[in-house]
Amino acid sequence: MLLSEIASSLDCEYFGDNVDIYGMNDLFHAGSGELSFVSDKKYIPSLASLKASAVLISKDLLQYLPNDIAYIVCENVSLTMAYATKLFELKKIEPTDKKTSIGKHTYIDKNCNIEQGVIIGDNCTIMAGAYLGSCVVVGNNTVIYPNVTIYRDTMIANNCIIHSGSVIGADGFGFAHTADGHHIKIYHTGNVVVENDVEIGANCAVDRAVFGSTVIKKGVKLDNFIHIGHNCEIGEYCLLVAQSGVGGSTTLGRNCVVSGQSAFADHLDIAPFSTFTARSGVIKSIKQPNGIWSGYPLMTHQKWMKLQIKIARLLKEEKWTLNK
Amino acid sequence: MDIKQIAEIIGAKYSGQSFEIKKINTLLDAQPSEISFVSNDKYIKDIYQTKAGALIVDGNNADKAPSSTITLVVDEPYVAMAKLSQYFSSSIESSIDKKAVIGKGSIVSEKAELRNNVNIGKNCHIMANVYLGDNVVVKDNTILYPGVVIYRDCHIGSNCIVHANSVIGGDGFGFATSKTGQHIKIYQNGNVIIEDDVEIGSCTTIDRAALGSTLIKKGVHIDNLVQVAHNCEVGEYSVLVSQTGLAGSSKLGHHVVMGGQSATSGHLEIAPLTTLAARSGVTKSIKTSGKVFGGFPLMQQKSWLKLQAKLAKLLKT
Repeated sequence: MLLSEIASSLDCEYFGDNVDIYGMNDLFHAGSGELSFVSDKKYIPSLASLKASAVLISKDLLQYLPNDIAYIVCENVSLTMAYATKLFELKKIEPTDKKTSIGKHTYIDKNCNIEQGVIIGDNCTIMAGAYLGSCVVVGNNTVIYPNVTIYRDTMIANNCIIHSGSVIGADGFGFAHTADGHHIKIYHTGNVVVENDVEIGANCAVDRAVFGSTVIKKGVKLDNFIHIGHNCEIGEYCLLVAQSGVGGSTTLGRNCVVSGQSAFADHLDIAPFSTFTARSGVIKSIKQPNGIWSGYPLMTHQKWMKLQIKIARLLKEEKWTLNK
Repeated sequence: MDIKQIAEIIGAKYSGQSFEIKKINTLLDAQPSEISFVSNDKYIKDIYQTKAGALIVDGNNADKAPSSTITLVVDEPYVAMAKLSQYFSSSIESSIDKKAVIGKGSIVSEKAELRNNVNIGKNCHIMANVYLGDNVVVKDNTILYPGVVIYRDCHIGSNCIVHANSVIGGDGFGFATSKTGQHIKIYQNGNVIIEDDVEIGSCTTIDRAALGSTLIKKGVHIDNLVQVAHNCEVGEYSVLVSQTGLAGSSKLGHHVVMGGQSATSGHLEIAPLTTLAARSGVTKSIKTSGKVFGGFPLMQQKSWLKLQAKLAKLLKT
């Protein structure tokens, strides 16, 4: 799609070469032929090394943009970006010439729904009611239980187990907001990558990335009801216990242990070997590895224990309120 | 499985005679044809009494077993047991040689999948996209809404209702972690038993036991999105409100009420007629029955209300 066409459908003006654009990506990953966006001042330092063919940008940041990059000027970059993603929306089912390929000794139940262009390795079991969308890849020895839904372009490696009702690769929860309070959908063109030896419990949801991939690394084990937001990266051998959630773009280092009903805010970096006790609520990045953490807002487990003792004392001191 | 083969799988030395092992079991329950393991110092006292035919132990405990028990010595007995559990697990599903038996008056959707040797009672309603694994039993008058999945060997009683997309009998979350931080799956070879008159909401998950059964007793009502982990027991007429979670091997007495988003840690017991307010977090067993609790960590609801009053005052000063 030509930049001029994109600009006119967004009701904006474009400047520079009328380049051909085939997709969108974030500032750090955009390459030739991709449209990117500069939604915040904090990205100014990364503009010098920008490889995108064109960007969406606001007037006040224009001075920082290298000369050779074409651009579309808009007032609200995030909102315009959301409208632009619609132009590159993926088809629900990709019409493709690629034949479905199924390995040796793989069992696929007759009641599965397998779209075109799917590749499945050897010795897999795909049970009744499972849905594998266009161009999904599944490695060897992987088991997919009944009624699992795997959205298009998802890649699942070897020796994985996915239990019933889980949904891998659904749209992430991403919206831009208009001045009158409407929420404009950001269409997700990324995917989910699940590495070797991963087990995913029942009724989990792993959302696809806006651009790029949501990654579940080697040996990760997810219990039931785990929510993994878009663009997350879950490090090798992490354990997440039931009813926990990870907000978008959060990265967990290797071997983290997340106990039941815990949650992470978005865009955090969590050091490897961190342990979170049940109901932890993590709202800041953790830089020091090997820590044990508790509570909401998060504190060291030691402090949390002390706090509980103080609260217990507070309850015993009947005169406390009278003295104040 | 031959003991020589077992020794090879777990990397233990064994030069004795061949000997058939039928099952993995706990130290105290294991029979002479079964194998057991010692991974936790808490259970060392049980070694002396075990009747197990073979025992997986580390170097420190190698000489403690009775002379009739063969010992296989490895660095990490728990990891070795996990590796072995795969070889004693049932297949995920087998080919259908016994077609499902369906009782009089039952309606089964054409789009439901009934695997080998399924047994459905009278006047049931099994809706589209339901999956019933090998040997599943569903008794009379039970309704399974669309997309319900019942894993192999589970039992559902009569007059039950299971709402859409609930998963009964999925694998419990059990792993042995090696020294290098890898998690080895402990295959979950038990099942789930749901007694009569139970209602289960949508998208709820009840995990199968590692050994034995996860048990939901008569008249229990479970809301949407509830997690019941492996080897739990939920007592008669208990009520679990939405998004509640029970960790492994929790035991609830009869008529326990758990409010929304409340949870228990593993291996604890809750006395009958206990009420837990919304968002309660139970970390210790509750021994006296009939009381009301709230908060996390748990306290009596009266104390929790008092605490909230104090916190409110604290904010004003």
